Amino acid sequence: MVNYYPENREYFEMGCSMIEVRGLTKEYTIVKKSPGLRGAVKGLFVRDYTVKRAVDNINFSINQGELVGYIGANGAGKSTTIKMLSGILTPSSGEVKVNGIIPYQERKKNAQTIGAVFGQRTQLFWDIAVRESYHLLKHIYQIPDKQHKETLEMFIEVLNLGPLLATPVRQLSLGQKMRCELAAAFLHNPSIVYLDEPTIGLDVAVKTRIRAFIREMNKLHNTTVLLTTHDMQDIEEICNRIIIIDEGKVLYDGSLASIKERFGQKRVIHFELDLEGEFTLPAALEGKANVIPGEEEGKISLSFSSKEMNAADVISAVLGEYRARDLTIADPKIETIVHEIYERGV
Amino acid sequence: MVRYARLYWEFFKMHIKVMMEYRIDFLIGILSVFLIQGTSIFFVAIVFDHIEALHGWTFYQILFIYGIAQTGRALEFIFFDNLWVLGQNYIRPGQFDRILIRPVNPLFHVLADRVQADGVGQVLMGLIVLITAMVNLPIEWGISELLLLVLMIVSSGAIFMAVNLFFASLSFWIVDSIPIMGAVFTLSDFTRYPMSIYNRSVKFVLTWLIPYGFTAFYPATLFIENSEYTMIGLLSPVVAIISVTIAYQVWKKGLKAFSSTGS
Amino acid sequence: MRKYWELMKSQIKLDSAYTIWYWSGTASTILRVFVIYAFWSAVYDNRVEITGIPLSTMLTYVVLATLLSNYSAGVGYELANRVRNGEVAIELMRPYDLMHKLVALDLGTKITSSVRNTLPIIILSFIFIGINLPHTWFAGPLSILSAIIGVFIGAQLDMIIGILAFWVFYIWGLRILRNAILLFFSGALLPISLFPDWLQTVSTFLPFQSIVYVPVAIYTGQITGSDIYFSILMQLVWLVVIFGIIRLLWSFALRRVTIFGG
Repeated sequence: MVNYYPENREYFEMGCSMIEVRGLTKEYTIVKKSPGLRGAVKGLFVRDYTVKRAVDNINFSINQGELVGYIGANGAGKSTTIKMLSGILTPSSGEVKVNGIIPYQERKKNAQTIGAVFGQRTQLFWDIAVRESYHLLKHIYQIPDKQHKETLEMFIEVLNLGPLLATPVRQLSLGQKMRCELAAAFLHNPSIVYLDEPTIGLDVAVKTRIRAFIREMNKLHNTTVLLTTHDMQDIEEICNRIIIIDEGKVLYDGSLASIKERFGQKRVIHFELDLEGEFTLPAALEGKANVIPGEEEGKISLSFSSKEMNAADVISAVLGEYRARDLTIADPKIETIVHEIYERGV
Repeated sequence: MVRYARLYWEFFKMHIKVMMEYRIDFLIGILSVFLIQGTSIFFVAIVFDHIEALHGWTFYQILFIYGIAQTGRALEFIFFDNLWVLGQNYIRPGQFDRILIRPVNPLFHVLADRVQADGVGQVLMGLIVLITAMVNLPIEWGISELLLLVLMIVSSGAIFMAVNLFFASLSFWIVDSIPIMGAVFTLSDFTRYPMSIYNRSVKFVLTWLIPYGFTAFYPATLFIENSEYTMIGLLSPVVAIISVTIAYQVWKKGLKAFSSTGS
Repeated sequence: MRKYWELMKSQIKLDSAYTIWYWSGTASTILRVFVIYAFWSAVYDNRVEITGIPLSTMLTYVVLATLLSNYSAGVGYELANRVRNGEVAIELMRPYDLMHKLVALDLGTKITSSVRNTLPIIILSFIFIGINLPHTWFAGPLSILSAIIGVFIGAQLDMIIGILAFWVFYIWGLRILRNAILLFFSGALLPISLFPDWLQTVSTFLPFQSIVYVPVAIYTGQITGSDIYFSILMQLVWLVVIFGIIRLLWSFALRRVTIFGG
């Protein structure tokens, strides 16, 4: 793990950062079930446990106003981390402090200062009009009347919520719902907001509006944002720092600029080849391109840096030795970068 | 406390608004609940067409027991009904996380999320039955008797709630405990009739383990002369407080288990 | 036919997997039988018979009626849910008749619960409560036939509630209403012959007594001789009438789906 923020250490020790995570670990015990009746009877007396480490000794610290992308494959431990930061889960070991509070010990106090959007799960009240939901949230978070009114007016304008306010949540489309969700998460002016896949399944126009809103809130209130997403564009447009985790461990923690410098020239070409036997990398590409095996027979992807080679050379090198049925050149994807980091290290 | 009362009021107002949008459905609900409670009464009435007393208990005495149970249960039904779906609507779909990131007591939030207006039908039926019985029983009703009766009904509702809370909290470990809650709730059928018709083990269970006996029968004996029970009914409020305390401890234990497994 | 058979089998497998539901359901039923036993024993305190029915016959009636009334629900609620969340439109594109599919699933559930739940409880009731054998040897098979028709009538009536979900938003209220009517007029609580005369008359003009009262009364001997055949014939008439009503409602409902999109 590389820490591009040596100054963080000072913050950490002074206790000035917004989120501090040290040696954070979460283990789940899973009961193994033997099949059949005999297994069930046996299960009453003897139980086999396996321990799964969803989050494994994670360290990072985030300052106020940072916009951090928290990235990893499904099951990498992102949600588990966020649940520990928001006080839903108790860590198995390690320290976590948010705003100087240990979330799982003072869950309610912590809840007052955070906002969250958890993917498809709604924060709003399902059966009632959006406006009523905001009214209830005002009372739940004890927001002063004046502040509530001003904030809401601003959100209505920025997120264009006006036409939605009278509609019950269950009748909203996905994009409409997400706009309303975001407003709900920011309504009490939290100092930290956790956004878990806020743009999943949305069309481009809504995504753009949502990203603009998040940036705007950060600028206005210096809100700290921790964002998980699979969408590279989200990261590019919102974040100034990313943390990549895999199998519960931090692989990379640093600025977006530097990871782009290292991996931004990364290109991937997907080939569909008529293969007879194994695919071997053509000699011209040795040491310059990386093979990512595909899921189906004959599908092969090559990643390489556009600094070292251009796409045309790669294609001609492959076509020199294989017959291709199809090929596509892909944009650099965050998954590819993660894969790359996972394969070769930073 | 004041804050929670005010917050509950806000939730309550909102539920009323939603109900007003579905007025017809709301009326159907109240009517249905009213009728289904009525069928049980009608059943007893038909049986008493053919007999004079049930194990020494007259029709109006049985109505009185019934009325206390109905009214107490109706209070629980109106305000605490959401406990039934703790597993199904909150834990299984992950909605409980939403509750946990709010700066309020999670139990309060779950309860405030629903007001079961259909329960109004049950309150109505309960009161009709209760008043019919009260008028026809040879009891002098003064202020102190009425206050005692109200206290008994509130205790009854609290015991129903405590039993449900206890078994609903199991959802934190097994995701959805609704079938267990249903089976336990069947036990409350026993409370409709005088406990003296059951054998000793049933009486023991309903008195000391799952105290449904204190939701109607024991309180009723306080008002009915010549019953073989004298003072045990006075224990109802105490039983209610103890049950609620135990159930809330189990709920808190459940929360803790939930926060370490998150499932 | 084959696909509905497979659907039914899949439902049986599914139901068998939920052990906690099974045990809780069985426990509930046993508790209810226990209350019924205690109640009726108390009713018969110092009494040999009520309207000519001795205690053992009464217990036989109420226990069997309670068990049979477990089957009076159907898949109306399933259907209502599918209408509510819009799945019905997707289901209609599948290569089967939705109504037949739901009936197949319902049968699966009912077969599972008769083998795992009802049958053991009947045996327990024979041993511990001492319920009677059928009134005559011939009443046995006839009551089973009648019970099967009754279960179908109950399931079909339930379907009507489900179809109403196309027009009524809050189906839960209707269900409770149906439960109330069914509980009473099906004879699940006590033999209809104990009802006051006027209510007995009302009941003969309603389909509900075909669901529980008729089959159980054939078993216990409240209905005897040629009345048995007449009662079963009436059950069949009701079944056909209700089936006709459902198909009619369903065609209206389908028109609504195709016009309004569910």
